Amino acid sequence: MQSIRDIKTRIESVKSTKQITNAMKMVAASKLRNAQSRILQARPYADHVNKMLVDLRKRNSTSQNPLLLEKENIDKKAIVIFTSDRGLCGSFNYNIIRRAKEYFAENPSADVICVGKKGYDYFRKHTSQNIIKQYLGIFNEMNFNVSREIANYLLNLFLVENYDTVEVLYNEFKSAIQQNIVIKPLLPIIIENSEEERSLDFIYEPSDDVVIEELGKKYINVEIWRIMLESSAAEQGARMTAMDSATENAAEMIEMLTLNYNRARQAAITKEIIEIASGAEALK
Amino acid sequence: MSKIHLEVIQPHQTKIKDDFEHVIIPGIEGDFGVSENHTPFITIIRPGILTLFKDETPEKFAIHDGFVTVDNNKVTIVCETIEKSDEIDITRAEEAKKRAEDRLKSKNEEIDFRRAELALKRALVRLSLTQNG
Repeated sequence: MQSIRDIKTRIESVKSTKQITNAMKMVAASKLRNAQSRILQARPYADHVNKMLVDLRKRNSTSQNPLLLEKENIDKKAIVIFTSDRGLCGSFNYNIIRRAKEYFAENPSADVICVGKKGYDYFRKHTSQNIIKQYLGIFNEMNFNVSREIANYLLNLFLVENYDTVEVLYNEFKSAIQQNIVIKPLLPIIIENSEEERSLDFIYEPSDDVVIEELGKKYINVEIWRIMLESSAAEQGARMTAMDSATENAAEMIEMLTLNYNRARQAAITKEIIEIASGAEALK
Repeated sequence: MSKIHLEVIQPHQTKIKDDFEHVIIPGIEGDFGVSENHTPFITIIRPGILTLFKDETPEKFAIHDGFVTVDNNKVTIVCETIEKSDEIDITRAEEAKKRAEDRLKSKNEEIDFRRAELALKRALVRLSLTQNG
């Protein structure tokens, strides 16, 4: 049985852990708010680029631009995997890693681009997959330049290095307590057809083709930016939930330990009384 | 009498959302003006100066990239960088200009000339805006 003093130190340490998890929860909650508002601010930009691309595609459905062209034989694949830079966010990274392993089982030769330190550390040690590039520590200071850099790298893979497809794997932000794993092709660009009837009578300068090319590149840029924002919001959401339950568990643990402590204390007192009583009895 | 609705959207914010009389936009094939009932038009923006006419004094911005859509008296610009003259860091622009010029002069083959040229253009646009107000 644990001594009274042991239990007491244990209670103190659980209490300070609880304080830390509680503080982390608050921090995650405020970061989540920021991340959510950034998603909202980025939306008009992404929507407009998307709309322009859909219009162009509709008008020019036979475009042979390589960005839009699906290849028949897919041999050379690359996948971009978004994880977080920091841990303590529940199953956020684990879910991605599990999905990635399934993917690797199907595509053993796929090359990997890691965004986020957690994924990079794991895949480097535990898989034989070829990691061709990694972006670490970018979620601390999110800005559009980073997403541009990643987008340019991926475009280069696709257009110059002859990769047949580039896919992305990330956590989509559903709500503060829910994340969805998404895996989808990024390149070539697949444009969904909108049913909406709109006048497509635009004059394009210098030409449809040049605009498609530039717009396609911009679209990739915007997609990467959006995914980064989603992933970081999802990360904060996951961390908030994880820290919330950690705080709750700590509170439960403290309750249990306090109960044990009181029991032990009482047992000691009872024992002492019995000793004194029996001592007094012996003197009679 | 304002006739055109202009929106300038950046990845992290909507920078301008207002009505104007007339706007001049630096398109890739040359500057063009948009007044009421302009034909539907889409083009790419080159580094240049965006001028907005509303009152007597036109507002000027340095703009570096993006796309513009003109449709039904509504002008939408999506771009990454747009600055008013007081937002421009002159010393930084001058340094960038010098750096780009040095790069273009050197005969080193590893230099991406297109990128250096673009950097030079951006710096020149920034400087010209700060000098002419």
